Amino acid sequence: MADEPDLATDRRLALDPTVLAGLDALPSGIAIWRPDRRLAYANETLRRTLGITPTAGELFEDFMGRLAHSREVVLADPDLWVREEIADFGIEKSADYILAAGLVMNVTQRPTRDGGLSATYSDVTAMKRNEQALREAKEAAEATDEAKSRFLRAANHDLRQPLASLKILIYSCIREADQDARAEMLHAMSVAALIMEDLLGALLQIGQLDAGRIKPRITSFQLSQLFERLDIPFRHQAEEKGLRLRFVTPRDTIATDRALLERILSNFVANAIRFTDVGGVLIGCRKEGKLLRIEVVDTGRGIKDADRERVFDEFYRVTDERRGEKTGLGLGLNIVKRLADLLELRVRLRSRPGHGSIFSVTVPFGNIWHSEGGDAEISEAVAGEFVGVPVLLVEDDDILRRSMTQLLQRWGIEVHAAATEDEALRLARGGTRVRLIVADYNLTSRTGVEVVRELRKAFGAETPAFIVTADAEPKVLEGIREAGLPVLIKPASPPRLRVLMHNLLFEPGQVRRPD
Amino acid sequence: MSVELPPIPIGSMIPLTGPSAADGAEFRNGMILAVEELNAQGGLLGRKFQPIFVDTCRQTAEEVVGAARMLIEKHRVHAIICGYNIGPQNSEYEPIADAGIIYVHANTLLQHHDTVMSDPERYFGCFMADPADYWYGPGFIKFISWLRDTGQWTPSSDRLAIIAGSKPYSIVIAQSMAAAAADYGWRLCFGPKIVQTPTTQWREIIEEVRATNPAVVANTHFYAGDLAYFQRQFMDNPIDCLVYLQYGAMHRTFADIAQEASVGIIVSSVIGLLRDEVGKSFEARYNARFGEGASATIGCQSYSNMHHYAVAAAMAGGSGAPGHFEQNRKVARALKGMIYRSVHGTIRYHPDWQAAVPYPVVTHDPSLGMPHIFYQIHDHRKPLSMIAPEPYNTERFILPPWMSRRGGVPRPAAVSSPRPGRPTDRM
Repeated sequence: MADEPDLATDRRLALDPTVLAGLDALPSGIAIWRPDRRLAYANETLRRTLGITPTAGELFEDFMGRLAHSREVVLADPDLWVREEIADFGIEKSADYILAAGLVMNVTQRPTRDGGLSATYSDVTAMKRNEQALREAKEAAEATDEAKSRFLRAANHDLRQPLASLKILIYSCIREADQDARAEMLHAMSVAALIMEDLLGALLQIGQLDAGRIKPRITSFQLSQLFERLDIPFRHQAEEKGLRLRFVTPRDTIATDRALLERILSNFVANAIRFTDVGGVLIGCRKEGKLLRIEVVDTGRGIKDADRERVFDEFYRVTDERRGEKTGLGLGLNIVKRLADLLELRVRLRSRPGHGSIFSVTVPFGNIWHSEGGDAEISEAVAGEFVGVPVLLVEDDDILRRSMTQLLQRWGIEVHAAATEDEALRLARGGTRVRLIVADYNLTSRTGVEVVRELRKAFGAETPAFIVTADAEPKVLEGIREAGLPVLIKPASPPRLRVLMHNLLFEPGQVRRPD
Repeated sequence: MSVELPPIPIGSMIPLTGPSAADGAEFRNGMILAVEELNAQGGLLGRKFQPIFVDTCRQTAEEVVGAARMLIEKHRVHAIICGYNIGPQNSEYEPIADAGIIYVHANTLLQHHDTVMSDPERYFGCFMADPADYWYGPGFIKFISWLRDTGQWTPSSDRLAIIAGSKPYSIVIAQSMAAAAADYGWRLCFGPKIVQTPTTQWREIIEEVRATNPAVVANTHFYAGDLAYFQRQFMDNPIDCLVYLQYGAMHRTFADIAQEASVGIIVSSVIGLLRDEVGKSFEARYNARFGEGASATIGCQSYSNMHHYAVAAAMAGGSGAPGHFEQNRKVARALKGMIYRSVHGTIRYHPDWQAAVPYPVVTHDPSLGMPHIFYQIHDHRKPLSMIAPEPYNTERFILPPWMSRRGGVPRPAAVSSPRPGRPTDRM
């Protein structure tokens, strides 16, 4: 290329070094083409941005051809693009291109006054990303806004209904003289208030979900524990409607958010009970490959095909054909859908109108070793050796009786405390059964030894027993020994008390007689 | 010329005679090896440790409290470091709390939690370096459920029989097993029935258990000899079920008495020497010092407790004699704040319980808890096989020889195929 002028030499000849250095430091690439379409100047930034180096005096057509086939710029049809660029020489225009590296480059060209062309090549990636993010955010906001408006309109409607009834009822109630009619109205008012409370509770849940305030905490746990919890609130509801409610207890460990899954299942079960008049509700599981499908099966009214998709929409309620009225808030299944989306769980519905429905949620299995039990708060009160052992304590001193009761309860013992012999006997004759008797020696009426004897008669068994006494007189201790009862001198240290109780209950052969 | 500082007296209450004398000898060995290693490295900030051993014989409250008093009053020990003593029911905590010294043991008792939490200020120095007995229960239930759910074993039913020894430890474990069973799909078909122990007569209760046709039988009594007789009597006419025997079946004595009848039984420990590089290196040092007959898996308990204490005392800037509450509180804080990887896994004290946290039943991170290790006897002449939990296991479960191979096709249990429809990769 000996006949072509050297660009650098040219620059040195034509321009001040400071100006050249300044042009090289600009963040955008610059290229200037002469009227004869040969490159007059290109700065350092252009070389770095494009990855191909323009040579001084290179023809515009040649450079565009090299650029198009360099694969540095993503072009649908490189040859077509080159033809268009050549045709557009000297025309003012601007376009964005995506570079192979993922950057977005803006190319803006303007004609020069002598018939040549000047072009800038600018990295606009960050700007474009911001623009896109803004656009997406705007679209999302508009969508949410629309959903919110729809939601609020529906919520407003549903809140107004009970509110309107409440107003009418209050008005009528003020004027009503008849007591029975007033009571009936008050009952209706409490129902209206309950509906509003439920609705507001559901709205709050949805609000929290929408605001992203609910963060799932995925853990491994036993599904059986969840079933046990669900059984408590729904057992009564089902019985009131004369429905059978059955949980088929699973043994599986699953991994999801325990509290949120409980809300999903609660909604399923509540709906099943609400929409079932005859038969029952069954909650069970089926394995589905590596997942577990939890199903709530009812023998209720079922859901028509047309409604199947919409039942998960907010405020959508299936009209009860027989009664021509809507029941429920129409939010439960919408909450389920939102929770399931949050937890990435699949929720399904199968139904046959008139026969019943199966709502299900599919969850992944958990790691059994990591399964969380209710273990964190273990203590002797819930897990010690004496847990649930019934003990009769006879002590006439109020303070001692109370402190001894507290100590024994800390060990999980079921304490039946009596202040007097009569009280103790009443307990014994009233059907209280104990495995151990602890009696004070100096009781108001008689000695503890005698009281133990009477109690054993009442129980009709040689119930293990021991005496506690503040009286360390040898004569007293001898009397207790003769009765064959072990004794502890007050104040009895907890470890000694524990050892004696253990031996009496579990290792009678180890009990040492007082001597 | 440097003046040698007086040694730091460290007490150790150990059953050197009586029914646990074999373990006691190992606890003593562990202390000796730890102190020798520590002293060879300069002791505690230039002062050597001096161990003082007191025999706790049958480990009754009187014997253990007496030992603690003697160590504090006569020897002015800065700490009492032990293996375990069964029986004092925490009564030894009183003289120790009065003196304000450090006490580290492996008594494996739930009541430690209650005692410490009842007055954390008073019992600041009392540490249990292994998890409480309670954790055996849920740990065992998870273990058998894991065998079942991963298809390593197909139980004949969901029936579980529990026989309990009459010591508090055995009762607590039996009850916690029973409490956890239902959540994992097990139904209690027998017990927990408390048997008066010690005993070598098990035939009657084995027959009672047989009548309930269980898929698993667990015996929570823990004396090696008694358990060996249980297993021999069981094997006279075995029931088609898994057999789990508490702690004592880990001992050499068990296999020596039970011989071939021992093959296939499961045993576990919430504290046991690991078979990794760290554990093997310790075992080699231990055997080199005390002979091949020594049992490093028992001796490691007092060994680790002593090392851990020494590190904590160094961090605290020194140990404290009886009455030096301030200094000992610093040592206690260091013990509580440190995650210490011993030769038998991690000792990390729970901030409230001051007891080691078990893995995997409480913490799911093996670096933060002491492994509850499950063993199976594969060959009665060889060391037990460590079959769970990951990442510490070195072998796999095999179907015990007395059990039928359901499905009619004999297959090695360790590579058993999962039941249809059950996932096999839940670990």
